[in-house]
Amino acid sequence: MSSKKNKAEHLKNDVAAANAGRGKPIIRIEHLTKSFEKRGFGKRKRRSGDAEQPDDAHIHAVQDVSLSLYKGDVMVIIGPSGSGKSTLLRSINMLETPTSGHIWFDNVDLTDKATKIDQYRQRMGMVFQHFNLFPHKTILQNLTLAPIKLQKRPEAEVRAEAMELLARVGLADRANAYPSQLSGGQKQRIAIVRSLAMHPDLILFDEPTSALDPEMVGEVLDLMKDLARSGMTMAVVTHEMGFAREVGNRIIFMESGRILAEGTPEQFYKNPDNPRLKEFLSKVL
Amino acid sequence: MQAFFEDLANDFYTNLIAADRWKLLLQGLGVTMEITILALILGLALGFLTAIVRSTHDKTGKLIILDAIARLYTTVIRGTPTMVQLLIVNFVIFASISVSKVLVAVICFGFNSGAYICEIVRSGIMSVDEGQFEAGRSLGFSYAGTMVHIILPQAFKNIVPALGNEFITLLKETSISGYIAIMELTKAGDIIRSRTFNAFFPLITVALVYLAIVILFQQLWKRLERRLRKNEQ
Ligand SMILES: Nc1ncnc2c1ncn2[C@@H]1O[C@H](COP(=O)(O)OP(=O)(O)OP(=O)(O)O)[C@@H](O)[C@H]1O
Ligand SMILES: [Mg+2]
Repeated sequence: MSSKKNKAEHLKNDVAAANAGRGKPIIRIEHLTKSFEKRGFGKRKRRSGDAEQPDDAHIHAVQDVSLSLYKGDVMVIIGPSGSGKSTLLRSINMLETPTSGHIWFDNVDLTDKATKIDQYRQRMGMVFQHFNLFPHKTILQNLTLAPIKLQKRPEAEVRAEAMELLARVGLADRANAYPSQLSGGQKQRIAIVRSLAMHPDLILFDEPTSALDPEMVGEVLDLMKDLARSGMTMAVVTHEMGFAREVGNRIIFMESGRILAEGTPEQFYKNPDNPRLKEFLSKVL
Repeated sequence: MQAFFEDLANDFYTNLIAADRWKLLLQGLGVTMEITILALILGLALGFLTAIVRSTHDKTGKLIILDAIARLYTTVIRGTPTMVQLLIVNFVIFASISVSKVLVAVICFGFNSGAYICEIVRSGIMSVDEGQFEAGRSLGFSYAGTMVHIILPQAFKNIVPALGNEFITLLKETSISGYIAIMELTKAGDIIRSRTFNAFFPLITVALVYLAIVILFQQLWKRLERRLRKNEQ
């Protein structure tokens, strides 16, 4: 794609955004495609095949997806297993390297090889299904490690703020405990405030409650609702339809790597016009 | 019975006390420890370095040439007897360069140990959950920063027992240094044997000294392991 055409498209999108009264998008995804090579298929096919040609040596996890995320959005991504939700989400902070397409963050193309991705990741939090707390660090150190090492903020200030965050999730008394001493719900709340400690512009959630015992789902969702209300921009992959309905302002339905439907929760639940979406909702609701 | 004890006392005297023979053993022990510790330091440096190169290649596909070198290194070292390596280092590589024999041994055992430590460290890095890596990167740590702050500390904890083992193996393996005329513990015992024509006393003494060091070291190491583990529970 030529840069001129890029700019034109930029302009068009910006205009559209301004018309919608939402300002500039924080994240803009353009024609994102991500294919994985199937195991054991790789080399033989790569030599003979045209990379653009769909072939059975590749899994097309995300296919030509374009979307924008605006400040304050709580975008919920739903869809059946293997539909590419995680891949899409993980492409936003480049944990997956897109096969083609662009991801714009703050007018910087993250897919550009020259982009220093680390500095942009500091501004995008990520919360994982399996928490991924650092087991060799205390709870407090889990929160303070990145702000101190990466943002070079004064330790005392970072620590004080981390204690405030811990108090906010009711875990201040566990500051010096290790992650192995916490319950799943507590771990996930810590993982969320760990990303908050970096003062991110947005937070990505990949099935944050799927690994939790049912009785712990509520406490994590409550924290996420709290965050949403405070205006945090969020992209959330989840199977929690209640959350999607209550907190999400946009819902995206994915299947086979494509966005099949997009809309507000009302549009989604009142009259889902897409037959695949109808079928999916009938299964999960 | 009494005669037996008298003989024993006699042997003890001729083999260890007379001509200050115990000093020979003590000197030998000093050389053994010197070689072991210096070789271990070299081995740790080489092992960590090659392990990081190899894991970086596995994870990112970068460092192709360094990875090939590291792989060749570990394959050759682990595929040939230490004894042969020692002889080659001494009689081929340092054939025309005059350096101290101890240095030759340190280099040989250091490179030897490095290949095994590489595998140990690599398995340690692989044992750390991939999610840890992603958590580090998603916070904005670079590849190197994630390694240093998140992966290696956890990997290290996992491999402490194996590293202790490596020390013990190395300590015992240095006993072949006598083949290049180094007066370490085993050689010292053997020299006493050839002077007193008594095999039992000097060789058993040497064996007991090794055993004592190993047991003492294991105790210390266990304490370290326990301390590291406590840090997490
Ligand atoms: N690292 C990978 N290597 C190969 N294939 C992959 C990889 N990651 C994902 N895939 C494939 O890409 C497709 C989309 O996967 P993805 O994890 O994005 O789905 P998902 O919607 O998040 O599913 P789930 O609800 O099960 O988490 C799947 O077919 C999956 O098998
Ligand atoms: Mg997923």
